[in-house]
Amino acid sequence: MQPPIFQFNRHRDDIERETVVRSLASLETFGGVEPPRSWQLVLNDAAHHEIRRLEHSPGGDRAPLDAWHRLARRLTRMNPDELRDEVHTRCVQIVRDVQGHFDRRVYDVATRLLPVGLGVLFKGSDLIAGEGAEALRDLSKRIRIEGEVETIRRLAQRGTLVVVPTHSSNMDSIVLGWALMEADLPPVTYGAGKNLFSNPVIAFFMRNLGAYRVDRRLKYSLYKEVLKTYSQVLLERGYHSLFFPGGTRSRSGTVERKLKLGLLGSALSATSERLRRGDDRPIFVVPVTINYPLVLEAEGLVEDWLKEAGQAQYLSEDDDFSTIGKLVMYASRVLRLDTSVSIRFGRPMDVFGNPVDADGASRGPEGTRLRRERYLYRDGRPTDDPGRDEEYTRMLGRAVGDAFLRETVILPTQLVGWLCLERERRLAPGLDLFALLRTTSGDVHPTTALHEDGDWVRAALVRMESAGRLRLDPGVRQKPMNEVVDEALRSFDSYHLRPALERRGDGIVVSDPKLLFFYGNRLEPWAEELRRALAAGRA
Amino acid sequence: MSTWAVLGDGTWGRALAGRLAAGGASVRLVGLAVPSGPLPEGVEGGADVRAALAETERVLVAVPISALDGLLRQAAPAFEGHHRVVTTARGLTTGELPRRATELVLSATCVRQTGVLAGAADAEAVESGHPVAVVVGSAFPGWAREIQAALAGPRMRVYTNDDPVGVELANALAPLLAVALGAARALGVGAASEATALTRAMAEMDRLVQRLGGRAGTAHGLAGLGVLVDLALEARSTAFDAGRALAGGDRAAGDRWPELRDNARGLSLRANLAGVRAPMLETVAAMFEGRVDAAEALATLMSRAARAED
Repeated sequence: MQPPIFQFNRHRDDIERETVVRSLASLETFGGVEPPRSWQLVLNDAAHHEIRRLEHSPGGDRAPLDAWHRLARRLTRMNPDELRDEVHTRCVQIVRDVQGHFDRRVYDVATRLLPVGLGVLFKGSDLIAGEGAEALRDLSKRIRIEGEVETIRRLAQRGTLVVVPTHSSNMDSIVLGWALMEADLPPVTYGAGKNLFSNPVIAFFMRNLGAYRVDRRLKYSLYKEVLKTYSQVLLERGYHSLFFPGGTRSRSGTVERKLKLGLLGSALSATSERLRRGDDRPIFVVPVTINYPLVLEAEGLVEDWLKEAGQAQYLSEDDDFSTIGKLVMYASRVLRLDTSVSIRFGRPMDVFGNPVDADGASRGPEGTRLRRERYLYRDGRPTDDPGRDEEYTRMLGRAVGDAFLRETVILPTQLVGWLCLERERRLAPGLDLFALLRTTSGDVHPTTALHEDGDWVRAALVRMESAGRLRLDPGVRQKPMNEVVDEALRSFDSYHLRPALERRGDGIVVSDPKLLFFYGNRLEPWAEELRRALAAGRA
Repeated sequence: MSTWAVLGDGTWGRALAGRLAAGGASVRLVGLAVPSGPLPEGVEGGADVRAALAETERVLVAVPISALDGLLRQAAPAFEGHHRVVTTARGLTTGELPRRATELVLSATCVRQTGVLAGAADAEAVESGHPVAVVVGSAFPGWAREIQAALAGPRMRVYTNDDPVGVELANALAPLLAVALGAARALGVGAASEATALTRAMAEMDRLVQRLGGRAGTAHGLAGLGVLVDLALEARSTAFDAGRALAGGDRAAGDRWPELRDNARGLSLRANLAGVRAPMLETVAAMFEGRVDAAEALATLMSRAARAED
């Protein structure tokens, strides 16, 4: 069976129409009032947000700002038809701005080219030296794809996949796109940040491979409604989709636990809508973790986190990604490490968080086969209950968050980062994190003490891995601790401007405390327990 | 007419089944054996959990926490997505990671819509006809309202609360803090000290509830403050009896009130894992396990580092 996205262009206009009609239907009662008042509120909300945003964007074009001002002034004078037409026009504009393409020819080229492209990225200099074939072979060794791939391949034939990965880098969508092809999984459609389209080559491929364009700076309800409806219409029509439920890249380096429920919620709404239409094709949620020994934009991310820039509009969007040079350097360095990038496909679940078997059946804790639609029943019939569905979505969010933890692969840079950070914390108890990060640069930790700490913590991690609570990189699990530490130091040294840690004589020096925090913080969800193991070991 | 299954035919299960039937529901009361003795009007007895679950979507589980795991194991294959469950069990399970009743329901069955019934009311109070109030904690507003409508009556007020974790925790913590108050009274510390103990108990309960996943303020509702004050006012309560026994140096108190002992141990373990300060709870757990006596405990509590009131 061909992936549904191959038919995308044929249905493109239909999808646009349905998105517009449904967005309008839902905005009709915006603010809990009837039209034309609701249309006025919709436009007023849009003008208010956009004027505020554009006034705070230095050096921008004045024309859009003036246009919003003009609209805001006109609002009270517009008649009901004009108001509705204005909302309609803007819906259409937004869908057209958002909507992706899918070009089969580009896909075929990309399936052949992407590995080469990634090969170039991941080993630029060597490829130029004529070692292309070797680079490709290396690529499959440098990115390990693991987990429930076979099950997911079968489920893709039986229903619609919603792939939900962790998000730590702008590399994620490309690396994951490659992983899907490599694992013979169907292509997915996904909403990519507008900044990713700034590089024309990458933009061309993204546009034609089913990516749609999301402008995260736009916060007004009309935009968000159209975007949500568009992604839901795609899902209902059976397009395999991808969302980053963490919203943006993890600034602090940790595994994200607070997930954005809006997009996850559309998986449940799409299920309900399908059932209403008598379409019982299921939707399967597939958690994925992407684990990098080095993160392309680590320095920028952790800076953002430390600035406590909570609002997405103030976060840097284009850092380190628009320059191919930096990408090539990053890729070639990662390729030389002993540690692989690891992509783990977790166990698929239904939209209620129940595990799904390879035949697409949802299973209860006792292994019983569940009738999924029953979750939407009351008194023997499917019923609408927004409060219930919101809570189901929160539960799904927790189930995905738990799966992220179980499928996270702990790598040497992260383990060694955590060990050093923990030593710093012990040396200066009571110091808050910010003070700690300001004062630790240049601190030296004896290598032998670090190895000892490492053995205690690893023993605890191995126990957690056997209990299915996380995963360990094979090197972290098996190699002598001095080799694990060496590998981490080599990794840190190979790419970042200033390595997080460096060797000096018998000691290891903290060179960049912020990076140290970024990598070590990956272990944060398990930190309390690891601290206890460390304390017990030392005692 | 709505149909309910009430699992557990103890006094609380029977009283609640009677309340549901009085409100017009058709009720199947399920015990380990077919319930004996006279049943309230409109309540039918049975012993087949799975058959009862096949007949209804609404389930009230009125077994103590120690019996919950066994019941759920037996019932699990008969649960489906449409089932909505409300539990009354107070306290945590025993074991390596002690769990709340609803945590157990969620992990042992496929049920998602859960709720907790809590508060000071017990079977005796309901049956006596005195006005009582309970609180239903559920994150599912529709289910909470269903329970509210089914149980409410002229002499029973039912409140809803959308912080089920907080309600369940407060309901479990309150009796343990009442044990501490009972011990303080038995030691004859005086009204001012008892007032201090009550105030600090509330602060501790609020802190624990928040750090273990509930919300600020839930401890001050019926499930927390309501239960604590009820137990403190009613000087003959089990919790006060246990407190008095502990104050008197009764080393067998833990065996006489195993549910309180296990609950204290479980909650104190959870507090510890979450890194929360819980001096009163830990003291109660230590007294039940014979690790400290009441006088020592009081001295320890009073000699802690000075701090600001929180």
